Amino acid sequence: MSTPVEIVEKKPVPEGLTILCGLPDVGLVGAIAVSHITSQLKLNEVAYVRSDLLPPVVVLEKGISRSPIRIVGNSSLMALVSEIAIPTTALHPVIQSIVNWMETKKPKTVISLGGLATPNRQQLIEPKVFGVASNETSIKTLNAQGIEIMERGFLVGPQALILSYCAEKNVPAVALLAEAFYNYPDPEAAAAVIKSLNQIIDLQIDVSELLKKGEEVRLRMRDIMKRTQTELARMQKSREYDVPGFYL
Amino acid sequence: MRRKRSIFDLLREYLEEFEEATEELFESFSEKPSWDPESHSLEPLFDVSVSSDNVVVTADMPYADPKSIKIRGVRDNLIEISADMKVKVNFERLGVPHREGEFSCFHCQVPLPVPVDISRAKARLTKGILEIILPREKGYPIKVE
Repeated sequence: MSTPVEIVEKKPVPEGLTILCGLPDVGLVGAIAVSHITSQLKLNEVAYVRSDLLPPVVVLEKGISRSPIRIVGNSSLMALVSEIAIPTTALHPVIQSIVNWMETKKPKTVISLGGLATPNRQQLIEPKVFGVASNETSIKTLNAQGIEIMERGFLVGPQALILSYCAEKNVPAVALLAEAFYNYPDPEAAAAVIKSLNQIIDLQIDVSELLKKGEEVRLRMRDIMKRTQTELARMQKSREYDVPGFYL
Repeated sequence: MRRKRSIFDLLREYLEEFEEATEELFESFSEKPSWDPESHSLEPLFDVSVSSDNVVVTADMPYADPKSIKIRGVRDNLIEISADMKVKVNFERLGVPHREGEFSCFHCQVPLPVPVDISRAKARLTKGILEIILPREKGYPIKVE
């Protein structure tokens, strides 16, 4: 019997690097941002996720089948990308296995990029970006770089699990979350998180091309957004709108 | 010995079955392409929300030509949205070169969850996102003593 979730390395993966995560979530912010970074830095596949818990899907690239969930990278940066919304029922084991694998690579920091659903998003000219972290040291790093902290509230989905499992393993992790559309691909929010990412690690990713082809990105991302919407409903993503009431 | 099932057990089982069936039905509806090569149309992503006064429908329509947008009531609880695109997009541009077809418009039908007064609806297109505000039909106010 196969292991429920395996991370299969195709090439040696160096230790001590920063690992970005861009999984499908609200506005596909992380997925769009990491896809743009992957193109700009020409990152190549170094590992992939194999799991019986995922739908029977492969992605074709130049006729060759690939796992939809991959780790791409170069000698200084790694990134977790997914071309499918991870089914809610598989989220825990998949993210837990990925974080276990990340721990073995002793990452400098894990940085998850994503969106924060904002009902009046259409009225915002420039989405704000908030930071959250897995421990106090990482919060201090975000503060030092001038990233506004999301002090309280709920996080639901891949971001939440990455932070939670990283905290358990003592892997330093932060998430950068841009105000975003809940249901529509949001390349402007993706550009905003990349700008904040440029502040905290020395990447100098240019977002002008991403903003220029925003309409094209929205058109191409319709189908993955639709599938992601179904998973967002299943994972009760709307809990992020709730006001926490514990500390009265 | 097998425990006798109470009315509550039966009700819970019935609700679980109903929930599963609803989910399957929902999934079967979504198992169709978001494009139609015959009408050269793409189905936009859309969303419906209900407030105390309005039903708000939004639709993501990148490249939509604002002058071409048409919204019409099909039935009391169904509206139809269509718009021409400023550019023609083929499958190759969408990243799937093995398929043939070109798309030049958006088209979708949006079910409305509560009665509205379509004649008083207002719409605007901002950054390629169409927003339609449909005032709800007023019900009967209940006096609080």
